[in-house]
Amino acid sequence: MNQYARMIVVLLIFSVLSGVVLAFSYEIAIPKIQEQAQKDLEASIKNVLPGTTRYEQVEKEGMTFYIGLDDQGNKKGIAFKATGQGFGGPIEMMVGYDPKEGKLTGLQILSMAETPGLGAKIQEPAFTDQFKGKSVTDPFVPKEDVKVITGATISPAGVANGIKIALDKVTKIYPVGGDY
Amino acid sequence: MYQLVKDFLNGLWNENPTFRMIIGMCPTLAVTTAAMNGIAMGLAATFVLVFSSLLISLLRNFIPAKVRIPCYIIVIATFVTVVDLFMAGYFPAMYRILGLFIPLIVVNCIIMARAEAFASKVTPIRAIADALGMGIGFTWAITLIGAVRELMGSGTVFGYHVLGENATRWVIMLLPPGAFLTMGILLGIMNVITRKSVKNTQCH
Repeated sequence: MNQYARMIVVLLIFSVLSGVVLAFSYEIAIPKIQEQAQKDLEASIKNVLPGTTRYEQVEKEGMTFYIGLDDQGNKKGIAFKATGQGFGGPIEMMVGYDPKEGKLTGLQILSMAETPGLGAKIQEPAFTDQFKGKSVTDPFVPKEDVKVITGATISPAGVANGIKIALDKVTKIYPVGGDY
Repeated sequence: MYQLVKDFLNGLWNENPTFRMIIGMCPTLAVTTAAMNGIAMGLAATFVLVFSSLLISLLRNFIPAKVRIPCYIIVIATFVTVVDLFMAGYFPAMYRILGLFIPLIVVNCIIMARAEAFASKVTPIRAIADALGMGIGFTWAITLIGAVRELMGSGTVFGYHVLGENATRWVIMLLPPGAFLTMGILLGIMNVITRKSVKNTQCH
């Protein structure tokens, strides 16, 4: 075999083997990854709706809501996903909302690509806990009613904006004081 | 055996990828805002480096010289993707810390450099010794940079408060310029230490 044919054959073998290895790895890993994603979703719902042990999924006006229930079947609130524009890309979060009280019950950042050590601090409880018990009619303006992080102003603003935009829709579907 | 120890120690100091060869600067400058990030990135890169060096060393007589670079890239990229998939599925806790850094390893030129300059020329066992040394050398170097930046920028090291809650924080140390400042100063210190030791051997 001359050297050019050999080059092509070797590259071809490498590419095919790599494709096979990747396909098999994907097949093996993807059910586990999805299972993990489901677990993470459940954990985040329980986190933003304290006291919840199970949840029901409801689709309404193009949005997905997770209604949290405790062991006795009492409704503990509604969790929904919100997206804000951060510094490094979209920030996805799970927000807990209690329509009876008109208050947020919790916030968890699901995914983000903010600067480690700066904007990434939005996922720490020191930042997210300030939204617990916050009234949904608040203005959600950074530096006014939302604490920011030193060195990162865009990331907290993205979170606050994302929640506000989602709440505008959600409070129309599930008004404060109304039934759900 | 002596050769193996020498190959291993090489990466720790004499040819330290970060402070001596100045390669792999992209992850070094980008992720070192905290000491923990340094350890995470370093270990993930070491893992990939060891296995890609082993594979490339095993295949060194099979790969034609003219297409060696595409072959290395295929091996490294495949390996990184497999690690990424399995870690996401089976070690979610670890993935939460390392997940952000794993795709970055594909473009870490330490791995390409060791494949090209070392692993493709020696036996698999020597390639592994070298990869381990280089990986650990990279890990300690970026952890040190991370620790300095975290200390000055956040007042903590590995998340523990060292400077007290009210110490002034130099936010610039956490921003990109801080990476260059820290890197430059540490590099200068490294050079001073090395120069001294060279002078001493000449005296004796």
